[in-house]
Amino acid sequence: MILDALSLEVEHGESVAIVGSSGAGKSTLLGLLAGLDSPSDGELTMFGQSLGDLDEDGRAALRAGRVGFVFQNFQLLPTLTAIENVMLPLELSPRQDVTAKSRQWLERVGLGARLDHLPKQLSGGEQQRVAVARAFVAEPDLVFADEPTGNLDEATGARIIDLLFTLNRESGTTLVLVTHDLGLARRCDRALQLDDGRLLPAASEHRSESPTANARGVTS
Amino acid sequence: MKLIGLSLKGLRRDLRAADVRALFVALALAVAATTMIGFFLDRLDRGLTRQAGQLLGGDLVLEDGQPFDDELRRTLTEAGLALSDQVDMVSMVSLQDAFQPAGLKVVDDHYPLYGSVGVDLGQGVESLAHGPSAGHAWIAPRLARLLDAGIGDSVQVGTLSLEVTGLIDREPDQQAGFAGLTPRIMLNMADLDATGLVRPGSRLEYELLAKGAPAAVDSLQARLDALRRDGVQVRDVRVDRPSLGRSLERAQKYLSLAGLAAVLLAGVAVAMATRRYVDRHLDTAALLRCFGASQRQLGQLFAWQLAWLGIAASVVGALLGLVGQAGLLSLLTRFLPLQLPPPGGLPWLMGVLTALAVLVGFAGPTLLRLKRVSALKVLRRELDPVPAAGWVVVAAASLVFGALLWLYSRDLTLSIGILAGGLVALIVLMMVGRALLALLLRGIDRWPGSGTRQRAWQLGGRQLARRRQASLGQLLAFSITFAAMAIIAVVRGDLLSQWQAQMPPDTPNYFAINIQPQEREGVSALIRQAASNASPLSPMVPGRLTTIDGQPAREAVPEESRGDGALRRDLNLTWGGDLPAGNTVTAGTWFGANAKPFEDGALPISVEQALAARLGLSLGDEMTFTVGSDSVTGRITSLRHLDWESFQPNFFIIFPPGALDEFGHSYLTSFHLDDPDDPVLGEMVKRYPGISVINVDALLEQLRGILGQVTRAVEFVLGFVLLAGVSVLYAALTASRPARAHEGALLRVFGAGDSLLARMQWAEFALLGFASGLLGAALAEIAALGIYLWLGLEPTVHLAMWLVTPLAGALLVGLIGFLLSRGSRRQSPMASLRLLGET
Repeated sequence: MILDALSLEVEHGESVAIVGSSGAGKSTLLGLLAGLDSPSDGELTMFGQSLGDLDEDGRAALRAGRVGFVFQNFQLLPTLTAIENVMLPLELSPRQDVTAKSRQWLERVGLGARLDHLPKQLSGGEQQRVAVARAFVAEPDLVFADEPTGNLDEATGARIIDLLFTLNRESGTTLVLVTHDLGLARRCDRALQLDDGRLLPAASEHRSESPTANARGVTS
Repeated sequence: MKLIGLSLKGLRRDLRAADVRALFVALALAVAATTMIGFFLDRLDRGLTRQAGQLLGGDLVLEDGQPFDDELRRTLTEAGLALSDQVDMVSMVSLQDAFQPAGLKVVDDHYPLYGSVGVDLGQGVESLAHGPSAGHAWIAPRLARLLDAGIGDSVQVGTLSLEVTGLIDREPDQQAGFAGLTPRIMLNMADLDATGLVRPGSRLEYELLAKGAPAAVDSLQARLDALRRDGVQVRDVRVDRPSLGRSLERAQKYLSLAGLAAVLLAGVAVAMATRRYVDRHLDTAALLRCFGASQRQLGQLFAWQLAWLGIAASVVGALLGLVGQAGLLSLLTRFLPLQLPPPGGLPWLMGVLTALAVLVGFAGPTLLRLKRVSALKVLRRELDPVPAAGWVVVAAASLVFGALLWLYSRDLTLSIGILAGGLVALIVLMMVGRALLALLLRGIDRWPGSGTRQRAWQLGGRQLARRRQASLGQLLAFSITFAAMAIIAVVRGDLLSQWQAQMPPDTPNYFAINIQPQEREGVSALIRQAASNASPLSPMVPGRLTTIDGQPAREAVPEESRGDGALRRDLNLTWGGDLPAGNTVTAGTWFGANAKPFEDGALPISVEQALAARLGLSLGDEMTFTVGSDSVTGRITSLRHLDWESFQPNFFIIFPPGALDEFGHSYLTSFHLDDPDDPVLGEMVKRYPGISVINVDALLEQLRGILGQVTRAVEFVLGFVLLAGVSVLYAALTASRPARAHEGALLRVFGAGDSLLARMQWAEFALLGFASGLLGAALAEIAALGIYLWLGLEPTVHLAMWLVTPLAGALLVGLIGFLLSRGSRRQSPMASLRLLGET
């Protein structure tokens, strides 16, 4: 049993950090919250829709265009250029301005000059910036970030976090962030500690009403 | 629509990846090979039909002993056919005191329907699209010699005197060979009546030649069948085309086989490249799932992507095939009619179909894995969907390959046989391969030695043996690859050497006919003096087949054979106790030197099998021939197969020794002379003026030329198959590169030096290549046995192949693998590991 008797609600526009030591089940929780996985027991809702009622395809459709991701290992596709990587989520839903929008977002993360570089031609920080641009390009309601600074040095990590919070604030997105970095967690509206499969309030935390995503009594 | 656009975009981006390139190359090669061979065979086939039309004199030729009526002419003309009349007969031609039997060919103003006559009107040979005009005659040089006639002389034909105005160099409508042994004289239809040769009882052959579209001929089938029943010989160029000869037929089969080998190779390459493609796209698929794509969307997206790839590869491959067939044809133009019909559309279609079928069969099951990927993989890398079961992959590929086999060979039993045999071989191969890997691992552990070199071999061998599943897959793929390459190479070698054996340098190039019994000794002595490879003098007497089993021959044969030439012309009958060289008895027993007549007086006879089949004859049937004013009856005791390309005297009917001695007969022989100006020839003609000596060097040269050109075509195609094989190796090794690079990087982290790593990788690839080569040779040997029986070649054991294939395999796989992994060796271990983390 990785997660047990766990309840969490996240409000629209809120930023929530989940901290925990390695192996505490942070990624499992994130996977469940994002609907990438389904729990063996318990209830999950996203955008007011119960995930338990949906199969994998249904959950995917719910995510489409509304959820963004930033991963620890960037998850850029190696054969795609920076701009092509950013274009990917947009191309799944019908729209016209894919290229312009992607360029605009890459410019916003400071990579306007590196549009046509392949991931291996970019530094780690640059790759994560591409990933951040990709997470926000579809103007999602909700962004999940899984150890976004885990593979980066401290200075680069800090810049990525600044970028992440700035974009989050500017676009009014809900942010769920998984990290082992308490300093990073403190910058969120709310920080929760995942310990032994249970969620406990961490320092400087406040609760709010009208949730957009919640998980309750999750076991896995 | 959205997905289609997205798939196109994805593909364009994907072109940077090695596996996509490998897929593209493999598919393009498969299409190129099949379209090249398809275009080539298609055009060759239509070209040969056209050439046959020329040899036959028209697309449709009717032949009868009496003139054709106007009603029939009208019917043919209304169907859209152009007509030309011709009359053939044998008659005496004389100039002063010289008399000579000659073959008269009386032509009308529409002659020839196809091609042109090569004739020397006094200023060298020129090509004319008409025959001689009224009052004129063109004669063969041989007749001119025998009569001592020249241009300007007047020869007597029947009661008519004609001026010789030309010497015939070649007739467009003369079958290759020497069917008409009497020398030719050609005259105009307007002069026929004046010769006085058309009398009741004279043996005239009326021919009605027609030229037109196949559809026009088809529309007349009912009428043509009625004519056949009335005893008219009806020849349709598409049906009665002279056979290509066994050499060309074998070449055709060989080319089809090579095309299929290329398809199989491409299939293996596609299967290998797809594994890597799918591995590489698992992350993409997981990400797209994350972004909200459904399983159906994913499946469609990747299916479209590969479909685009297949279509693009087909177009490129078909263009390559078009260029390739032009190359093949340019090798063959020397003996083909100059303008071949343009390439048809069918090979294009077959090419695209082949590419898509190969994709579906060899890539499909593996591709389905992408659909099943979980979005959670983006967080947990180890969450890969299970690969498709091996048997599903093999079954899908076999099904598609079997269907292609059927499509190309149009032979269901053959296709099922090959497929079943192939599957059994695959299972055996898998077991042997597994055993071989286990053996390798054990062998290495016992292998003493600690030098760098030994260590490299040990490491390489262990890597190979321990990566069981992956290595086994590659071992199988490479074994099939090497087997296909070896088969095509080995069959080519045997095909060529058997062609050469069929036409040794001392193949007879002269025939001497009309040798009288009293001249036998003298002529034999003369020939022995200068010539080599002389055949024994065969006696021959012309006889007309009149009855079969007591019934008039025309009524006894199958309806469609009532007009057969064998019923209306004399057959050359011979007799002797020894089975002639090059003949094989296919049914019954050879009567031998001491043959006795049957109790009822019938003589045992041997009949050529194709003639027997045409006339519906079998063992025990009785045939009666009219020879001069007598008749002789034989009962069939054996059927023979004989080789018409042997350049030996060949006979349809053979009687026992001495059986026809009392009839007026002459002798026939063939021999080889190196020098066309050998004085023996002059001596023979001078001493025995009645003998005709025919030089067949031109015909021999033509046949040798065909074989030479076909040989080059065969080698061209072999090169193509080898190229396809290399593309498989490239695709497979590309697919395994990341895993090996990862291992290499780890080993370097653990302290392996560059040179050790290089040696180790070389050792691993070379061992893999050697083992695959060995298994491939075994597979090829078994397959070759079946193929030889199919091609009609003598099966042999190929020792050289057993030696060359493993060594070539070690070298090829070693080299390609070594070069492909060079990149990963050059990077720092950190860089390699980091790079791998992303893929």
